[in-house]
Amino acid sequence: MKRRTFVQTLIAAGIVTFTASEGQAARQQPSIRFLRPPGSLSESDFISRCIRCGKCGEVCPNRCIQYFDLQNGVSSMDTPFIIPREQACILCMKCGEICPSGAIQPFEREMNAIIDNVKMGKARVDTNLCLSYQGKTCGVCYRACPLQDVAIKTGMLEQPHVLEACVGCGLCERSCIQIPQAIRIIPNHDRAIV
Amino acid sequence: MKSTVVILQRHLNKLRWGVLTVVFGMLVLLPFLHLYQTYEAAHAYDLLLPGEKSVSDSMEWLTSPFINDPVEDLNKLKGTTWSATFFGLKLSDPLAVVGQISAGKIIYLPFLLTALIPVLLTILFGRFYCGWICPATFIYELNDSLATWLRKAGLPVSRRKLDFRLKYLVLGMGIVISAFSGIIVFAAMYPPAIIGREIYYAIALDGFGAGMVFFLMTLLFDLMVSRRGFCRYVCPGGALYSLLGRFRILRIKRDATQCNDCAKCNVVCQFGLNPLRDNFSQECNNCTACIAVCPTDALSFTVNVKDLDYQGPGHLGHNYRQKQSKQSKQAR
Repeated sequence: MKRRTFVQTLIAAGIVTFTASEGQAARQQPSIRFLRPPGSLSESDFISRCIRCGKCGEVCPNRCIQYFDLQNGVSSMDTPFIIPREQACILCMKCGEICPSGAIQPFEREMNAIIDNVKMGKARVDTNLCLSYQGKTCGVCYRACPLQDVAIKTGMLEQPHVLEACVGCGLCERSCIQIPQAIRIIPNHDRAIV
Repeated sequence: MKSTVVILQRHLNKLRWGVLTVVFGMLVLLPFLHLYQTYEAAHAYDLLLPGEKSVSDSMEWLTSPFINDPVEDLNKLKGTTWSATFFGLKLSDPLAVVGQISAGKIIYLPFLLTALIPVLLTILFGRFYCGWICPATFIYELNDSLATWLRKAGLPVSRRKLDFRLKYLVLGMGIVISAFSGIIVFAAMYPPAIIGREIYYAIALDGFGAGMVFFLMTLLFDLMVSRRGFCRYVCPGGALYSLLGRFRILRIKRDATQCNDCAKCNVVCQFGLNPLRDNFSQECNNCTACIAVCPTDALSFTVNVKDLDYQGPGHLGHNYRQKQSKQSKQAR
């Protein structure tokens, strides 16, 4: 190899590396609010380990798992996501069981295992919108929650209070009768799964 | 003189088309089964639309002899050729494992083991995946027939030849870009993975995604640049299988005593190899098209680790007989 070709190759490799690492930094801010399936690794780990096979969506009995096209950038193309207002997760944990790549870790469908390991996000109540906080007794979100009294409890006039154990399945957001929804999941993309 | 085993190999190509059709059919069927499962899980048959009801009914008719509880039992059969769950056995494409190791810089053992069976089979049988299973091959071969028709109609269909080694460069670059960006780029540029996904999106979700554009581009590439060009020169999976199957034990061999130099095998070979000159190399995907087309049954599968060197012209051909008569004249 000539010295000139070698130097040119080196420069080209440097440019590729630089742009690639720039891309890695740029993909940290998601442009829309979405959840990853229950048991998913943190966002950057998830993207580098998900092989985009689509089996999690194929096994989901609730059809809540959708796939990104290009709306969240090239890096998360074809990865699974959940929009809780459209269809929320019922925590059946089948996606983790079938995931071959370990991007969604398998956990038992048992309350403590789910509370400890599923960190999709956390619900937050908008007290200005919530009917119960406006004096009209509602309590729909409390009834929709699969972890009643563990993840959410109700106070006076069935006002919802989200507790620490909330895993962010989104069933409360799905069921909220207010438009726009008064309770919504704040996604936790930096979660650490053991 | 010819054993029945050799003659029966002529029909392997039909068997191969059967296998390809079954695999492609399964890719279409599985999303419908998934829909049926979700309808069953929702216990809402009466609320379905007429179209959804017909899907549910037909899938129930199809599966009811084999299973009791569709919601649970049908989970044994999931996925695509990229990664599948097959009656409890998880199988993955070796390229997916290579991609994950390079992008995630991690060796996840349960995932590594899912690629074990495909890797072993590839070491034994070479690029058989490309010829016998790959759902993209099904479409590419139909596309190749289309190219033949277009050619007959007088349209220009290019059959350029590039360097086979290009795809190893694509594989290497894919690994490097995956390692730097942390994204498995193979998942977005490997046709069988794209096909499996897009069929699922189209049937169970809301229509084709961006991957379909890429796949249509590869079809155009095959028509306008080179015959089966993507498989030959670009496909990173093909490159990986070629490397793994370099010392495969099942090879096609030309029997020079039966060959009549008609060169039909070279014409029919979609990978642009040269069976007439005993040149199969690691690129051969064992598709058996040359065995099927051979009029004298000179080509057959043998167990051998290396290809033969060029054996000279076929003994039934014109060149060989001329040489023989010349030699006998000299001897006289």
